[in-house]
Amino acid sequence: MDTVVEFKGVAKQYGNLPVLEDINLSVGQDDFMVIYGLPSSGKTVLLRLLMGLEDPDAGDIILRGENVHHMPPKIRNIGYVPQDFALIPHKTIYENIAYPLRLMKKSTLEIKPVVERAASMLSIEALLDKLPTQLSGGQKQRVAVARGIVKETQIYLFDDPLAGLDFKLREKLIDDLRRLQEDLTVCFIYASSDPIESLTLAARIAVLHEKTIREIGDPQSIYLHPHHLSTIDILGFPRANLLDGRVFRKASEIWCQTNFLEFPIAMDAEASAFENPLDVTVAVRPESIQKAFDRDGKSLTADIYLREDLGAEEIIYLNIQDSSLTMVNSSSQNGHYDVGDQISICMNTASIFVFEKETGIRIGRGVDNFNA
Amino acid sequence: MPEIRVENLTKKFKDVVAVDDLTFSFPEGQVTCLLGPSGCGKTTLLRMIAGLEPPTSGSINFGKIDLTQLATRKRNIGMVFQYPVVYRGISVYKNIELPLLRRKIPEKERRQRIEEVLELLNLQDQATKDSSQLDNVSRQKVSVARAISYRPDIILFDEPMTNIDANSKVQFSHFFKELSKKLNQVIVYVTHDQTEAMTLADQIALMEDGRIVQCNEPRTLYNEPEEVFGGWFLGNPGMNFVDARCEQTAGNDLLISSFLKSPLSISTHGLDREVTIGIRPEHIKVSETIFSNAVSAKVKRKSITVGGQFLFVFEVDEVEVKAKVSHPSNELMTAPSVWVEFPVERIVLFNQNQKRVHADLTYVRK
Repeated sequence: MDTVVEFKGVAKQYGNLPVLEDINLSVGQDDFMVIYGLPSSGKTVLLRLLMGLEDPDAGDIILRGENVHHMPPKIRNIGYVPQDFALIPHKTIYENIAYPLRLMKKSTLEIKPVVERAASMLSIEALLDKLPTQLSGGQKQRVAVARGIVKETQIYLFDDPLAGLDFKLREKLIDDLRRLQEDLTVCFIYASSDPIESLTLAARIAVLHEKTIREIGDPQSIYLHPHHLSTIDILGFPRANLLDGRVFRKASEIWCQTNFLEFPIAMDAEASAFENPLDVTVAVRPESIQKAFDRDGKSLTADIYLREDLGAEEIIYLNIQDSSLTMVNSSSQNGHYDVGDQISICMNTASIFVFEKETGIRIGRGVDNFNA
Repeated sequence: MPEIRVENLTKKFKDVVAVDDLTFSFPEGQVTCLLGPSGCGKTTLLRMIAGLEPPTSGSINFGKIDLTQLATRKRNIGMVFQYPVVYRGISVYKNIELPLLRRKIPEKERRQRIEEVLELLNLQDQATKDSSQLDNVSRQKVSVARAISYRPDIILFDEPMTNIDANSKVQFSHFFKELSKKLNQVIVYVTHDQTEAMTLADQIALMEDGRIVQCNEPRTLYNEPEEVFGGWFLGNPGMNFVDARCEQTAGNDLLISSFLKSPLSISTHGLDREVTIGIRPEHIKVSETIFSNAVSAKVKRKSITVGGQFLFVFEVDEVEVKAKVSHPSNELMTAPSVWVEFPVERIVLFNQNQKRVHADLTYVRK
């Protein structure tokens, strides 16, 4: 896969406030790359740097093999869909979609088929004569996407385009966007602050957290085998449980301890040497906690703070010995318990990841079949 | 028991019908959530109950009292809005006192009621604090305190968690659940968020285009949608819908679909010829090896979803269906085609008018 966009050690700060540090990222020609991060983590800045609307303070951006330092935005030829629609209120939907082509001084004859094709890809042909005020939120977002793809280019940027739309609309548009990228076979760089949207859309995800990209990979491998604390912390819904702990040697084994867990761990190959004891952050995904049937007496007792019903799943917020834990239960049998009830829980230690507290780098995971 | 009863209630804004000939009761001592997409009429309905919007026609009664023409201040209603209504620069105590002063409640009783409310909402420690020092959740709690201090008959909540961040929502939900158990007024809670409604409501009134499509306790609403809309709106993703054919035979009517291995016998007669099968993603059985009643399906894609489950999208006869799978095996993850079954007890049938048909389905014995 040919690389069409590359960030090499890119940094950006506003005044004394660093926003992005040492960004390294390369995106291929038919990649669907999601830049995933919490709100205000610098995703928009990263896209603006690529479009040339901001200049980096350090590092290089390579676009189609060419260093674009000082290249003006209008000749970078990148399609762009902003978060807030940004439709021109007094122009028809047709003219709104045609706008980037008008700016490029294309003739009316050239513009027509391109606008019609984009409109048909997003099923908004019937709206072309209307004004933006006559459209619903979802329709406006479709128009914004259509306008973003009329430019004849291979690189399209999306700045969290579904944020703020209601849930059911997002479900539909996520399907549409994924299909669109498959049909166009071009490069999509898509900023998102929604973990499930990111996991659904992406061919690859770059996790942007605390100013830099912590991990890049295909959704499944970074979700199931995170190598950085940031990934397991923010990429997932509900978010993972993080507990302070420490790792120490115990005879020939290495153990990890938190205020209510103690279990042996298997160190990652590259992390075998460590200070004894070492401060760590222990991460447990909500789905790794199960209701226990208390056969071996190793289960823990927790108080239910809240039970949220998602229909197919339930999220249970628990208090256990001064810590809060979140668990998710996706079996179709929903519990008949509520706020204030007590339940017994257990977790398979193989699904617990241990990260060095100072660096956030993974050092190991619990050994298999040891029920904490 | 006093309840709110609306009869033939209609609200039109010019040509747009926001609430359409609605007849419905809100029972006392229960949380009724009005749930629906934006523009379904839920907020208009709430505003009419509050007296903030005059109905075009129809009536609103509280027990034996006709509220329809009554001014808001005479309705004895407490209201909590999207933005907390809290005055900065005065204490939490004073904030709660203001609505009581306005109602000319004598000092001794005022003090007693404020203490009561502070205790009920667990705000005793915050009473002397200036309200500008409070976080968003506490400010919204004070709004609730203000709304209930004068003992209204009816308490209305208009999307009270809109301006509360995701983490604090858990706190507010916990608070709301604890509180609502102790109150015995009529409580109406408007939201567009299905999880909020499913979590907080005693009953959910699902709205679409100005009418209440269905009203049930949350689990029933989720499991037994009366219309296609309810199946689609609840759940993430919502119910799958696939076309099916109903054939009348001498014995009993048969249901035929490419998602069914063989025709099912239908217990009721008189279905439309073209019907729709609805099934929730978590109810579809999926395996890489053949099993009884399963049909073969092509895997189109899969992705990780809520709680680390996998959302499989597969295709039978060019129709796509989504299924949720927890802990899929390696074999299932790599299989290009799989075997799927819609368990008969999980199938929900809809007629052409998108309304549910209650029918028992069984495999025809060969």
